[in-house]
Amino acid sequence: MSAFLEYVAGESPLHRMNPVAKLGAAALFAVACFCTGNLAFLGVLLVAAFALSASCGMLRQTVGLAKAVFAFSLVLAVVQVLTTPSGAVLVQLPWGYIGTGSLLAALTTVVRLMAAAIPLFLVFYVTKMNDITNSVVKVLHVPYKYAFAFTSTIRFIPVFMNDMAGIMEAQTARGVEFDAGGIVKKVRLMVPLCVPLLVSSVRKTNSAAIAAEVRGFNLRTPASGYKEYPFAALDVTALAAGAALVAAAVALGLLG
Amino acid sequence: MIEIKDFTFQYREGAAPVAREVNLSIPDGAFVGITGAAGSGKSTLTYAMNGIVPHCYPGDFYGSVTVDGMDTCETPLTDLSRVVGSVCQDVESQFVTTVVEDEMLFGLENFSVPRAQAEEHVAGALADMGITHLRGRAIASLSGGQKQKVAIASILAMRPRVLVLDEPTAELDPASSLGVFALLAAHARERGTTVVVVEQKIALLSQFADMLVVLEEGRVRFADAPAAVLAHADELQRIGVNCPRSTTLVNRLRAAGVYAGPSVRTVPEACEVLAGVVA
Repeated sequence: MSAFLEYVAGESPLHRMNPVAKLGAAALFAVACFCTGNLAFLGVLLVAAFALSASCGMLRQTVGLAKAVFAFSLVLAVVQVLTTPSGAVLVQLPWGYIGTGSLLAALTTVVRLMAAAIPLFLVFYVTKMNDITNSVVKVLHVPYKYAFAFTSTIRFIPVFMNDMAGIMEAQTARGVEFDAGGIVKKVRLMVPLCVPLLVSSVRKTNSAAIAAEVRGFNLRTPASGYKEYPFAALDVTALAAGAALVAAAVALGLLG
Repeated sequence: MIEIKDFTFQYREGAAPVAREVNLSIPDGAFVGITGAAGSGKSTLTYAMNGIVPHCYPGDFYGSVTVDGMDTCETPLTDLSRVVGSVCQDVESQFVTTVVEDEMLFGLENFSVPRAQAEEHVAGALADMGITHLRGRAIASLSGGQKQKVAIASILAMRPRVLVLDEPTAELDPASSLGVFALLAAHARERGTTVVVVEQKIALLSQFADMLVVLEEGRVRFADAPAAVLAHADELQRIGVNCPRSTTLVNRLRAAGVYAGPSVRTVPEACEVLAGVVA
């Protein structure tokens, strides 16, 4: 079973696509989500995002991710409901009111964030980190050090999550009850654990940097990678589809 | 050749030197085992050989350490990495990619080894370690032992002239540990690779190493052929190094006056001695 943001091997069209095209199309998809406030269009984009994940067998991971994004966006939605009075009055508040427009805006925020996040995260599940690094170096001419630093940051996310889980397990074995008392108590218990996590994180990143250096990291040139990343018809189509989505979103925004 | 002269090192944040006046001369193609109690300076000594000390972990460095004529203190880590291949103690943090094949290719790509040659090196190293079937696997999905084998294979694939390995079999089962040591010994014997291994499994070390170095509080206590070092079983015990049981048994026979030959390292050698004594 793969962890959060860890590559899952496969042979789907998404797996086979050029990493740069995947990143580009996912970015355009996200831009399209933020270029429109049309809830129906955003709903279509959300469905399309789930369809993409299903096409490469990542539905389970996507549902997990969607839940996390939903929880995060719910906080934003609540703030929006309470602070953006619009539409017909539903509930009167001392500082304004909650209206039908407020609810619609909050729902739009939730759907938009979920739709925008899914393709971006999906890229990391269907692309090897090394391919992302090498392709942005070869195709976009990003300096290797920056590309490596970016992908290493992503690579360490599941590592640190595992470390945190390990620290929590160790604390649980010593009698700490993370699950009793609600989310506030859980957060309060977790905050002190950030110190050992930080220490272990710094140590791990330092060790990885040393390991890279003793294997000739500084000798790397843009031509060093063995793989080439040519664009195929599918890659061009994906980028064109992304651009079309942005154009459609902008048009919908202008129209309505 | 690795030449260590009066090497003393104290980490910047350390209270005392962790290596003290170490003198060692390791010829090309030698298989050297370094052992000692925890905190005796084993890892620091390997760091001095691959340049991690003082380039990555600064501190007070005295004396000199030269590898293939390069002073590790003055030579940039990048230049040293062309000669010295290192396997760290914590293999988990050694990985810089997420897939076994990418990890194998990382160093080779950095050194711009031609692709056909790199493919041959990778296939050879994977086969040597018996992990060809893991080539396409995500590193996160591997067991501790498999990760250790991948870490070793990724360094072997680079075919360095000097191999420095810090507890390379810590997570391996006895059979795999034996296999790794036999492979390293073959590299030393057949390719002339200088192999330096830090290891607590002294029975294994003494079986394969040409020279055994025992450290005590940063100083070299013994540096000799394994049989000669193991003859000092009581002294080793005091330092915190446990001799193989077969060695201890034969040493006791010698102390009791029923055997007068040299110390032994392996169970078959001990059996031979016992058979002689009984006869």
